Amino acid sequence: MQSLLSVILLFPALGALVLLCVPSVQTRLIRILGLSISCTTFVLSLLLWVFFDHSTAKFQFVDAIDWLPFLNMHFYIGIDGISLFFILLTTFLVPFCLLVSWDSVQKNVKEYFVAFLLLESFMLAVFCMLDLLLFYVFFESVLLPMFLIIGVWGSRERKIRAAYQFFLYTLIGSLFMLLAILLIYFQTGTTDLQVLFVSEFSLQRQFLLWFAFFASFAVKVPMIPVHIWLPEAHVEAPTSGSVILAGVLLKLGTYGFVRYSIPLFPDASVYFTPLVYTMSIIGIIYASLTTLRQIDLKKIIAYSSVAHMGFVTLGLFSLNIQGIEGALLLMLSHGFVASSLFLCIGVLYDRTHTRLVKYYGGLVHVMPLFSVFFLIFTMGNLSLPGTSSFVGEFLILVGVFQTNPFVATCAATGMILGGAYSIWLYNRVVFGNLKPFFIDAFMDLNRREFFIFLPFVFCVLWMGFYPEIFLEPMHTSVANLVQHGQWRG
Amino acid sequence: MNFPHLFENDLYAILPELYLIVSTLVLLLFGVFYSTSKKHHTPSLMQTISWLGLFCLFCTFCILQNLPFSSMTFFYTTLIMDPLSFFFKTLTLLGAGVSLFISLQYFQAEELKDFEYTLLLLFSTCSMLLLISASDFISMYLAIEMQSLCLYVLAASKRNSEFSTEAGVKYFLLGAFSSGILLFGCSILYGLTGLTGFQSFAQLFSGVGGSLAVETQSFLSVGVLFIAVGFLFKLTAAPFHFWAPDVYEGAPTSVTAFFSITPKLAIMAVFLRLFLVGFYDFLFSWQSILTVSSLLSLFIGSFGAVAQTRVKRLLVYSSIGHMGYLLMGVASGTVEGLQSVLLYLCIYFVMTVNIFAIILSLRDEQTGHNVKYIEDMSMLSKSHPLLAFSLSLTLFSMAGIPPLAGFCSKFYLFFAALSSSLYFLAVFGILSSMLSCFYYLRVIKTMYFDQSKQPFQNVTMDHEKSWVITLTTFFVLFFFLYPNVAFLWTQKVALLFLG
Repeated sequence: MQSLLSVILLFPALGALVLLCVPSVQTRLIRILGLSISCTTFVLSLLLWVFFDHSTAKFQFVDAIDWLPFLNMHFYIGIDGISLFFILLTTFLVPFCLLVSWDSVQKNVKEYFVAFLLLESFMLAVFCMLDLLLFYVFFESVLLPMFLIIGVWGSRERKIRAAYQFFLYTLIGSLFMLLAILLIYFQTGTTDLQVLFVSEFSLQRQFLLWFAFFASFAVKVPMIPVHIWLPEAHVEAPTSGSVILAGVLLKLGTYGFVRYSIPLFPDASVYFTPLVYTMSIIGIIYASLTTLRQIDLKKIIAYSSVAHMGFVTLGLFSLNIQGIEGALLLMLSHGFVASSLFLCIGVLYDRTHTRLVKYYGGLVHVMPLFSVFFLIFTMGNLSLPGTSSFVGEFLILVGVFQTNPFVATCAATGMILGGAYSIWLYNRVVFGNLKPFFIDAFMDLNRREFFIFLPFVFCVLWMGFYPEIFLEPMHTSVANLVQHGQWRG
Repeated sequence: MNFPHLFENDLYAILPELYLIVSTLVLLLFGVFYSTSKKHHTPSLMQTISWLGLFCLFCTFCILQNLPFSSMTFFYTTLIMDPLSFFFKTLTLLGAGVSLFISLQYFQAEELKDFEYTLLLLFSTCSMLLLISASDFISMYLAIEMQSLCLYVLAASKRNSEFSTEAGVKYFLLGAFSSGILLFGCSILYGLTGLTGFQSFAQLFSGVGGSLAVETQSFLSVGVLFIAVGFLFKLTAAPFHFWAPDVYEGAPTSVTAFFSITPKLAIMAVFLRLFLVGFYDFLFSWQSILTVSSLLSLFIGSFGAVAQTRVKRLLVYSSIGHMGYLLMGVASGTVEGLQSVLLYLCIYFVMTVNIFAIILSLRDEQTGHNVKYIEDMSMLSKSHPLLAFSLSLTLFSMAGIPPLAGFCSKFYLFFAALSSSLYFLAVFGILSSMLSCFYYLRVIKTMYFDQSKQPFQNVTMDHEKSWVITLTTFFVLFFFLYPNVAFLWTQKVALLFLG
């Protein structure tokens, strides 16, 4: 059991190596092999959940390999209640990313599968790395395969610009984090996270370091002034790229906040809370309003993601148990809901090759099954009670209300706006008269697509009706996190 | 008193250099007699001599690795053998060998038939070995001149090309100029102190660097400044970089490869030795010079490269930028700084070899065009996916994107800069690394996403280059997984040198 996590980490990467040896003309073999590798990874990662010990806040499945022993840096991996579900989310989403592009990706199939499996390994490494420098390494390496996925398999000419923006925006933020990490290493002589949790930084230095980390994570989240890359990247990426971008990559930033910024710099986190609140509130309201005037389906979901991530940062910096747990839950839920919405758009795009809202209307007449699924996910997006997002947003509002009622009130308007744009979108696309533009192209879901959507519906409803099963492993770790902050601050 | 007693072990210590120069002379004789022989129809000996030259370099390498001494001074302390010089000599020999190795096909294709090319390369390598060992102004200057003379001729070696001749002349004029400045600095210091040995400077000034009389100190600083400027010229660091783009662009690509890979190693070695040993107590006076030069190099390297359309010019500007990073490490003046410089050089060496091997191989067999503009590389990912893949990996690595090798060198460099409080420099380095990403990405974009009028169709890859490209690409990809060897080696060298 001890090395289970390492196996999960290495499995997709080794699988990618195996795929490299398959001749690229045998696309069917490559597809089946890639899918089975990612499914096996998912099954293995379920074992993590089974064997996870809820009663302790310690890191579990810890494994260490020497990297630069004389500089005191090691490949040091382990998970706790906070990172467990991100691992599961990643391994859950990747098989669907591969499935959804079963037919739509026809060029460079081998490279596509290799890029996705490598990306999976990198993302998993980010979530379970317990060494600050190596965390940075994997946090950045995610850029490489993602850059290629957007640039090579994206849909239009504008994709190059989008890939550039994605790469450069996220890079400039992260580079300052690198300096901060080196400064921490210079001061403490270690990059081991567990040692750093118990080391103290002076207040001035905390401010500096917190800000450098914030620059990097805020771009990844993305928070409002630096969110420009996200809609571009979403629109230009292939469906699977959007799914992984919304499902996992956005969580890297918020995960960074909860794993690094808050416990490492507790005083600075308290000090900068008003800043984060302001940015989140602006993010929620502004992004929601922007969503209302978008005409591209993917941009609508992209901006609504920005709004939801605003909720997440709000919850994280409420710095109490309800808020943080709600934020973690909303991250998971957003991972399911936004991904499945992008899958829905992918289904439409595969048929008509357009994403503009004005070409759609009255789909309920020709695609009834699709309309049902789309309805469920839209309801998830506006956090209707009974869906997963509701639990998350409710907990966040409870948490924030305790620290700052005014902010909570402002954030609550975001829920109304969310309802507005979601329902209006659904209304425009599904109801009304059938538009004649692509009338011969509309077909209902085929079997592959149906079975892609089914697990997502299951997860969204399951989390909505019985969230305790997800919250239970988090309790101890989150309580420990909050306790840690109070003890210091 | 007989001869062997006078030099005792000195001749053993200099055995690699002796062997290399004697064998080069033998090759020269062989070439002169055989290539003019009417009986054999005056054969072109380029390939033969090149392979023999490679063999000589290999033997020199073996001799160097098996020398019984780890550190000693010889020839009345004008030359020195220590782990640092061993490190640099190893790299230099490898560099010379590899740059000859990857150019073999280029010689044939471009019909460079003069075997003197290889001999000049061997002579300059030999003088680099001497330069790395130099620990005295006289030996340093002599070695620099011998090296530079060979390089001037090499730059102009493609005699039927105007650009190549122009490159040679420019290189000669500016090289001579910078040597003059260097010599002037040396003579000021000699006039003030009567010393020429690096060690003697260190001993004379140890601990009194800051407490000298103001006049003496300012004169000394002027001397140090001149010497630094001379070196910065040779290292193509800004603001003394103006000759580099023209020379590197005009010279034949094989020569550019050699220029980019090898000579800077030797200059860097003696630069490190002079400044970190000889002038260590003047850290306050030269640290600021190097900091400014480093800043400017980073700035000009990244902004200059953004505007380039030609591949070789782009690479020159990128190498100016990399020189900025190296100077950052030197300016920090600590063991970590030195170690980061050595590590950076190692990794940069491999990446440069990879890039030039690829550029040398990009030659359309049908039309005879060599790659010249960046846009020539468009659609390379379609016609030659593996080449495009390794080139983009190396470029990403040069930009310092983890988890590639370039990142490992950069993070340690930034660490060294931070630990000696060069905060501004570190932040600026980060920013320019971001900018450099932009132009490296542009090349990658051209290869992967751009449509082209006439893509390169028929690149024939020879065995030599394919081996080199494969090995270096693997290094760039997998260095991250096990960086211990390189880290330990450089740390050992740095500690023994400064510790």
